[in-house]
Amino acid sequence: MPDWLIVVLRSLLFLVVLFAITKWLGKKQISELSFFEYVTGITIGNIGAEMATGIEKSIANGILSIVTFAAVPFLAGIISLKNKPFRDFIEGKGTVFIKDGKIMEDNLKKEKYTADELLELLRKKNVYQAADVEFAVLEATGDFNVLLKKENQPLTAKDLGVAVAPSKEPQTVIMDGEILDEPLSTIGQSRRWLHTELEKLGVTIENVFLGQIDSDGQLTVDLFDDKLQVPSPQEKPLLLSTMKKCQADLELFALGTEVEKAKHTYSKNSQKLQEVIDKVTPLLRN
Amino acid sequence: MTIASDVKQCLASLKGVEAGLSNLALRTQDDQSKQTLHETMNVVNEIVTDLKERVGELEREEAQYKGF
Repeated sequence: MPDWLIVVLRSLLFLVVLFAITKWLGKKQISELSFFEYVTGITIGNIGAEMATGIEKSIANGILSIVTFAAVPFLAGIISLKNKPFRDFIEGKGTVFIKDGKIMEDNLKKEKYTADELLELLRKKNVYQAADVEFAVLEATGDFNVLLKKENQPLTAKDLGVAVAPSKEPQTVIMDGEILDEPLSTIGQSRRWLHTELEKLGVTIENVFLGQIDSDGQLTVDLFDDKLQVPSPQEKPLLLSTMKKCQADLELFALGTEVEKAKHTYSKNSQKLQEVIDKVTPLLRN
Repeated sequence: MTIASDVKQCLASLKGVEAGLSNLALRTQDDQSKQTLHETMNVVNEIVTDLKERVGELEREEAQYKGF
């Protein structure tokens, strides 16, 4: 066999071995969450490359070495699941850089970070003023995470005390003009229903690049033809405005009638309607 | 237009609202929203029942506009 063919075959073999090993170790190995996984990742890759090109080396030894390097983080992972001190030792601990809004100079020195580098890390997190930060930590993986002071954090619905409708993840039901049956059955709808919804929007399935259904069962689509305008779902705001109109009507009737009993029924019902309108407004607002 | 026809119109709109709410409640994935929509639908239903009664009374008063 010529050398080049051997190299090709060995490369293919080790590609398969590396693929199998990373599959076995799982997502954690790929994201290199700990120092340990970082080191084994590099080494396994290197052994693979070495084995593919070094024709004179034994394949069995190479595979053995790769498996050993893979087995250690695998076992360490299992032990560290159970044991906190072991986990801290293997995976390392984060270093706190800013605490209570004050920069910890000693910790910076320990990790050999200069003030410039700290500012750079902060800027990566879109923070330009160190005084805006309440707490910041350099994780064992080298990631830098920042907790802003409360007044600098983005405003949330909770801060404002605004009621918002709970929502679930949307389902993608059309891709490249093809209906995806699995997500469609997840939300309990049929192909026929989807066709009806598309008809309501006035588009054909062939023209839809992406179609998603939100948690309220409303279909939104993106078309191949970007010149066409697709109407946004109007059903919910329409429902809300009809309810408001009916409530106003009831109030009018209450004012208009001279029959005492009818006046009472009208005003009671208009009040009832107002109460439920207040309750469903967050759900019906788009 | 008489007041009776206005009330009838309102009644029809409310029936539409009831159907819309029911439709939405069936399609919504979130359980809490589903429940709120159902409760709303029930209240609207009560109002519809009351209004129907009132429409009956109005029709007796203005017999020429009967037919609902």
